[in-house]
Amino acid sequence: MSTMKTTRDVKGVGVSIPRPDGPEKVTGRVQYVADIQPKGLLHAKLLRSPHAHAKIVSIDTSAAKALPGVRAVLTAKDIPHLKKKAPTRAHAVLAIDRVVFMGQPVAAVAADEPSIAEEALDLIKVEYQVLAASIDPLKAMLPGAPPVADAGTEADTSEALAHSAVAIAKSEAPAKAVNISQQARLTRGDPAKGFAESDHILEKTYRVPMVHQGYLEPHAVLAEWDRNGLLTLWASTQGSFNTRSEVADVLGIPENQIRVIPVECGGGFGGKIRALCEPITAVLAQVTKRPVRYVMTRREELQAGMPAPQVIIKLKTGVKRDGTLMALDAETVIDSGAFSGAVLAVSAVFLGSMYKWPSFDVRGFEVLTHKPSVAAYRAPVAPQTIFAIESQMEQIARDLDLDSVEFRMRHLIQEGDPMVNGQPWQNNGAKQVLSRIADHPHWKTRKQWVTAGKNGKRRGVGLALGGWLGGLQPTGATVRLNPDGSLAVLTGQVDIAGTNISLAQIAASAYGVDTDLVRITTGDTDTAPMTGLSAGSKTIYTVGAAVLQAAEDARRQTFEIAAAELEASIHDLELVDGKVTVRGMPDKGITLATIGKKGNLYMSKTPPVLGKANPAFTQQAPGFAAQLARLEVDADTGEVTILDFVIVQDVGKAINPMGVEGQMQGGAVQSLGMALTEGLLFDDSGRLTNPSLLDYRKLTAADLPNLETIIVEVPAPAGPFGARGVGEPPIIPAPAAIANAIQNATGARLTELPMNPERIALALVNGKH
Amino acid sequence: MAKHVLSCTVNGEPVEVLVQPYVNLLDALREDMGLTGPKEGCGTGDCGACTVHVDGKVVASCLMLAMQARGRKVRTIEGLAGAGTLHPLQDAFVRHGVPQCGFCIPGVLMAAAALLEENPRPSEEEIRYGIAGNLCRCTGYTTMVAAISEAAGTLASQRSAR
Repeated sequence: MSTMKTTRDVKGVGVSIPRPDGPEKVTGRVQYVADIQPKGLLHAKLLRSPHAHAKIVSIDTSAAKALPGVRAVLTAKDIPHLKKKAPTRAHAVLAIDRVVFMGQPVAAVAADEPSIAEEALDLIKVEYQVLAASIDPLKAMLPGAPPVADAGTEADTSEALAHSAVAIAKSEAPAKAVNISQQARLTRGDPAKGFAESDHILEKTYRVPMVHQGYLEPHAVLAEWDRNGLLTLWASTQGSFNTRSEVADVLGIPENQIRVIPVECGGGFGGKIRALCEPITAVLAQVTKRPVRYVMTRREELQAGMPAPQVIIKLKTGVKRDGTLMALDAETVIDSGAFSGAVLAVSAVFLGSMYKWPSFDVRGFEVLTHKPSVAAYRAPVAPQTIFAIESQMEQIARDLDLDSVEFRMRHLIQEGDPMVNGQPWQNNGAKQVLSRIADHPHWKTRKQWVTAGKNGKRRGVGLALGGWLGGLQPTGATVRLNPDGSLAVLTGQVDIAGTNISLAQIAASAYGVDTDLVRITTGDTDTAPMTGLSAGSKTIYTVGAAVLQAAEDARRQTFEIAAAELEASIHDLELVDGKVTVRGMPDKGITLATIGKKGNLYMSKTPPVLGKANPAFTQQAPGFAAQLARLEVDADTGEVTILDFVIVQDVGKAINPMGVEGQMQGGAVQSLGMALTEGLLFDDSGRLTNPSLLDYRKLTAADLPNLETIIVEVPAPAGPFGARGVGEPPIIPAPAAIANAIQNATGARLTELPMNPERIALALVNGKH
Repeated sequence: MAKHVLSCTVNGEPVEVLVQPYVNLLDALREDMGLTGPKEGCGTGDCGACTVHVDGKVVASCLMLAMQARGRKVRTIEGLAGAGTLHPLQDAFVRHGVPQCGFCIPGVLMAAAALLEENPRPSEEEIRYGIAGNLCRCTGYTTMVAAISEAAGTLASQRSAR
């Protein structure tokens, strides 16, 4: 048995330091929402629609209300400020007169025990009149399709803004088709002429189903009101200030009447940005005047969470025989489920922006269907979009017998090249990561390796490149000097993956002390500086910049105090081993502890050191990753075995390499799941046919090899110590890399995810490969 | 429904609690004994977040009725190491930076502990199969496998030192 204390060297930015809350996490002591047990707690359950589209004729809650132990039963009628035309899922707290997806909440119960709440749900009688439903997005786009939203509902583009800060012109006149909620079109040059002058034209349609973010902790929230009408929410959220704003908007109360305490978040990946169950739980707590907790079941998560959208991408490319790009025609259809909110712009921009197409016509449609509405999922719609582009690029290279890396490299964007929306690409490491992966022995030796297979299985090697523009959001941080000479850093940043230790490292290096002397706290919405979401690969890039500036501010204040105390010029001072000294005169100094103490003494004239920063940002820092797979395909069963997987990523500067590698590995495995096994499968009536983790299969340790990570550092000009966003790029290339490897192994080009054994075996039979 | 008396040993201590006959072991541990280390990720035995040991064997505590633990020895993540100490597995998980969101970690550690008790020097493949019943969405499993392998070595050298 070792002791709780871990010893480590003195360190700042650039070294691997385990997160300080690790011991709490491995001993089960960390508290998630479902672990909090306040006195008088009530348990909430929601009655959900069994139909994808139906009119609510009547609801009878009398029997449920009469059940002993039931404290509240609510329907839309009990929440007078609920309005039709809900612009977001959060606003549709309970269905008013119509349900628009299977699993939509219709009634809510709070009871003494979860089992009593469950029993009460069974006693609520709802009479529905079932209506025709739009399930297939391509059919839902057609005029005359059963409408999803109430006429006049506005599209929700806030997710796109929060996530990617991609500017795109909103398109044209409003659509005639009733379920098209957003559309965009971007054109350049004369694609018709480009196609006419092309030697090789390739048309393919790529399909990716809805997939769930798969966080292990289901959505959970605890709500309580005090006697002054202040609502406190203990939330599993990726952004407490965002949750506060959304709940305030939905409930129609000022934000200063809500306090959101971000509890340890058991994974979010984009699925815990938008409010979901917080408003109804708050209303139940208000009505019962008791603390109320709601924890979604896994079945509810899969049936009625906020998954990633289904994406259908049609690509037509025209190139010359020598590989010169001529024209791109692309159309992306994003099935957003029952409410608008998909990041259409990301897909539209990436379709034509990664390689330099001289002419293009790129169109994007967000379509509503009677399915659960979607949300972000780690680089939202980028893996789906890059699956199409990188499959297509590989196929073109193969058809024209070009080296697929050279072909990509020749046309790949670099800093200053225009994106399809006309904005210039910012500094990025796209070429560096592609070049680094092409140098990998697995790529260099691919031909020998493929032919060396001996077990009757077919071997293949494939790679793909993908990128993410990187998010931005204003944010704040403070850095305080303690009387013991240590630093206290405060932000509102929700730490899921271990970002706080990296922020502490930034503060340590910027101020000039060891990371061990920095303690970082995530405050709540009452105590912390305004802080953005843990999303968009922007925590280190933006909050890190705020912490850096606040630490520099604290250092400047510290030096001002020291200069006065030492009667020296501030420019002659240095900070070494916790002591500010006059350069060259190590005996003439004052310790940080002394300065800290002076700031906390009765009648002291020394101000306490409090560095602060609250920056806003304008310059994005795109992050690129390249991934390579070596795999075997069993031609009889269609089963794929991944033998090696390599992740190369430009991170600008690895503040904490251990944390960076964890992001690279975790992101890759999520999209390997998207590539091979995952998909929410809806039948024609809009019923989810795989609502359990037995049937919605995520990859396990036994499905995977060790993942090799290679960090590339192309400094981001505005990033703290050159760092750029890390979280999202590694989820992007894998599906295309796997598809390319499968083709290398079998000759079959798979264009629909997941590439499960059935699809692969069928492709091999049909294609006679 | 009348509650039943559940007498069993939990983390080495004798325990007596009143539980409903339909309550599963996970809820009894979490709600009645205050042991919230085991987590509910699915409630159907598919994710492994609720993994505990019952008489030394790995059990998905969401799939076992609490009353089935009567007279048996239950061990949860809270009992993996002595107070104020870390088990070599926990120590290795911390140093390898395994926990991200951390929700799966208690279950993974209990599965890994049972594996090492049964098979003190597992191969990489055996480790991967040993935790195949535990879903993790953050790590990609690579650091987990490395940490378990290292902890197996630590435990082996501790045994040979004794």
